[in-house]
Amino acid sequence: MSDNDIKLEIDGREVEVPAGSTVLDAARKLDIEIPTLCMDDRVDPAGCCRMCLVEVEGQRRLHPSCAYPAAEGQKVATHNDRIDRHRKGLLSLYKADHELDQHGRPVSRGVHNRLADYLDTYGTGPALTPVDAPRVARSESLETNPYIQFDPESCVVCGLCVRYCDEVEAVSAISLVGRGSGTTIGTADQRSLLDTSCELCGGCIAVCPTGAMTEKPSVTRLPQLQPPKAPTSKVRTTCNFCGVGCQLDLHTEGDQVVRVTSPKPGTTLNDGNLCVKGRFSYEFIHHDERLTQPLVRGEDGQLHPTTWEVAIQRVADGLRQVEARHGTDALGFVSSSRCTGEENYLMQKLSRAAFGTNNCHQCAAT
Amino acid sequence: MEKKGAKRKVVLQLLEEHGGMRPGVARKVSEETGVPEADVYGVASFYTLLSRPGAKTRVCQGLTCVMAGAEQVIAELKARGEEVEAVSCLGQCDRAPAAIDAKLELIPGAPSGGITPSHDALAIDLAGEDDPSYAAFDKARDEGPDWIIEQLKTSGLQGRGGAGFPAHIKWHAVRTQAELTRYVVVNADEGEPGTFKDREIMLRRPHRMIEGMAIAAWVAGAAKAFIYVRGEFRDCIRALEAAIAEAGERLDWLDIEIVEGHGAYICGEETALLEAIEGKRGMPRLKPPYPTEKGLWGKPTLMNNVETLACVPEILSRGGEWFKALGKTEAGSKLYCISGHVGRPGIYELPLGVSLDELVEAAGGYVGTPKAFSPGGASSGFLPMDLRGEPLDFGGLAKLGSMLGSAGVVVLNDTVDMAVAARWQQIFFEDESCGQCAPCRIGCRVQRQAIDKFLDARAPESLGHVEEVAWEMDAGSICGLGMVASLPLQSAMKYFGEEFDHE
Repeated sequence: MSDNDIKLEIDGREVEVPAGSTVLDAARKLDIEIPTLCMDDRVDPAGCCRMCLVEVEGQRRLHPSCAYPAAEGQKVATHNDRIDRHRKGLLSLYKADHELDQHGRPVSRGVHNRLADYLDTYGTGPALTPVDAPRVARSESLETNPYIQFDPESCVVCGLCVRYCDEVEAVSAISLVGRGSGTTIGTADQRSLLDTSCELCGGCIAVCPTGAMTEKPSVTRLPQLQPPKAPTSKVRTTCNFCGVGCQLDLHTEGDQVVRVTSPKPGTTLNDGNLCVKGRFSYEFIHHDERLTQPLVRGEDGQLHPTTWEVAIQRVADGLRQVEARHGTDALGFVSSSRCTGEENYLMQKLSRAAFGTNNCHQCAAT
Repeated sequence: MEKKGAKRKVVLQLLEEHGGMRPGVARKVSEETGVPEADVYGVASFYTLLSRPGAKTRVCQGLTCVMAGAEQVIAELKARGEEVEAVSCLGQCDRAPAAIDAKLELIPGAPSGGITPSHDALAIDLAGEDDPSYAAFDKARDEGPDWIIEQLKTSGLQGRGGAGFPAHIKWHAVRTQAELTRYVVVNADEGEPGTFKDREIMLRRPHRMIEGMAIAAWVAGAAKAFIYVRGEFRDCIRALEAAIAEAGERLDWLDIEIVEGHGAYICGEETALLEAIEGKRGMPRLKPPYPTEKGLWGKPTLMNNVETLACVPEILSRGGEWFKALGKTEAGSKLYCISGHVGRPGIYELPLGVSLDELVEAAGGYVGTPKAFSPGGASSGFLPMDLRGEPLDFGGLAKLGSMLGSAGVVVLNDTVDMAVAARWQQIFFEDESCGQCAPCRIGCRVQRQAIDKFLDARAPESLGHVEEVAWEMDAGSICGLGMVASLPLQSAMKYFGEEFDHE
């Protein structure tokens, strides 16, 4: 423990955290569950969803644990009658502002639905009639981008997507738009994401707690819309679009990849983030024209399947013939940005050491 | 995450210059400032003068103006084919029903209301001659900051913006910060329905407020002061500019900037106001940290209301004890705004803690049979006439579950249906909720729909959840708006239950 450590008490249990920690950090260290909607470790806390309010001794009002600084000697309560009443009352309000299914459960087009989960866990207060908020959202027909869709009626306006787009991606394609009960998520002049600074990374989908931001069904099979046709599983792999090495979770149905997500933030080097290629460009996996084995052109001018040994020998023979006829510098070696660092290293080794030419390049090196 | 070199501070000003939220404007402002386009659009959509731009007449739909026939005014203008919009309180309750023209200038109607004639025992003295000598500032500078804070403490001066927080504590807090860049901000975003006192101070005694501000800046060690004035107060902005010009080199050491509001009541909340000056959506910040510690651009900021600062020169000229003795139940004299069903609406400077009857006596007596009153604007709810003898002060009204707030007193006589009156206040809060946190964003709409439904069918069951929703709004909201936004409906139901019972 360093000198900076702060000792506080949560629900009667003592805990030590480093200076600069929040009450929520301290509660997590004790495995005390505090519900949150607008919170993600990658962005600054906003404290605006009000789910994580706790009681701090000596404070008249409830405070958001995600933003409230932990302090020496502090005494915090995360559940008591007042907090319970608050959570129920708040969830009643969220429910009144949300699209519900025929069973009165909040609808989510995404794969998670934290609002519904919290309603199950904490219950509701008064049964309110829907408020029919006057939100002015982008027209779905104008939203011609191929990947991302937004449903304002299942949005809790926590603004996490906006803060993620700004603070993590530094793209700022979306913003809170409007005021009061009409507040929603929008773009400049409510244009399609294609006509904004959006890079279609889909991070807004990943952070959305209620499935208001989702993949378009044309690219991704969302389980609640179409029941799986085959057994599902999740396979961890490394993205091969570039050399960064982002980890991907491939969601499969039988032998079909139906969706790609990132492992949880804080667990792999991509920290929960993906780019447009990693998240959305997996159609090639099942494409008819995808190369799955080496092909060599025969005397008939057609490509024929063969083994790796034969194919590599054929390349080696061809390269040696050019070298013999025109000299080494008639050769050039170009490798791909889809290769790893190690593969790129080997490519230049082949060029410089095996053949003895400096004519080597990599497509991302311009 | 601010882009390096982005000129966010001028975003609101440029949006206004380019005609508000029209297609292409956000892109233009983004190119000129380096602030992302979506961000600019989001800012524009927050402020009503930018999100609903256009050359039109804006008619006040504050409670006092509605009682004085604002709805008929709107109907008549529409019948004449004029473009007209009903807007939140314009701070002209003494001239009800009030309206402003396309250039936000007040449309001449009733003259401004009564004021207290000048006499010696007044801290503000609206009718007195404004004094550009800045003698109190000279005295304060000679005596030093510790003496100034001590006099403020002795005087018992409480913030006149609404919260009644002791002024000397804020002044001391900013002064003792380790960070040396500090700012002073004058909150002149007067918008609480029923309140129009800061308007008259800026019009009649601008030097008094500016002198108070200069003293605050000197004590706080600030080289820059901002005056945030609501955009609809065109005449106040001109009066301040003229006074600053007249003060001339006496204020050379202080960089004074007038920042105009763009139509958002919530920007009267101190942290929302800071966001607005910074060029953002006016959404309140979490507290702590308080502005005295981390305010404008994260620097210690001393923010006071216009009236609070205007009290300071006389306190320092005549001493804290003198000011304290002016009050009745609490320290000092106080500007009470009064409107509604009284003989001579206006602003009366009286000892803090007078009763409603004493105030109304100064304002020409009741008109008709009084039934209810709001002691401090929409946020204070309604009180019944059997509380007419209670002192109108910060502590006493708080104990009654109401508040003095900005002392915007509105009197309602027995021609008013309390359910209808409550509805107008709930409309105000729904229109002005910033939308950042769910308890207020959704709760304001729930309460407004509850009273709407009650008035449609006179069905008491539509009001069944008002108390529980109000509890959650109070417990869960980020700022004071959400905390008090149910009070008009709650208090009307509490004190005038018989008007909500019948089928």
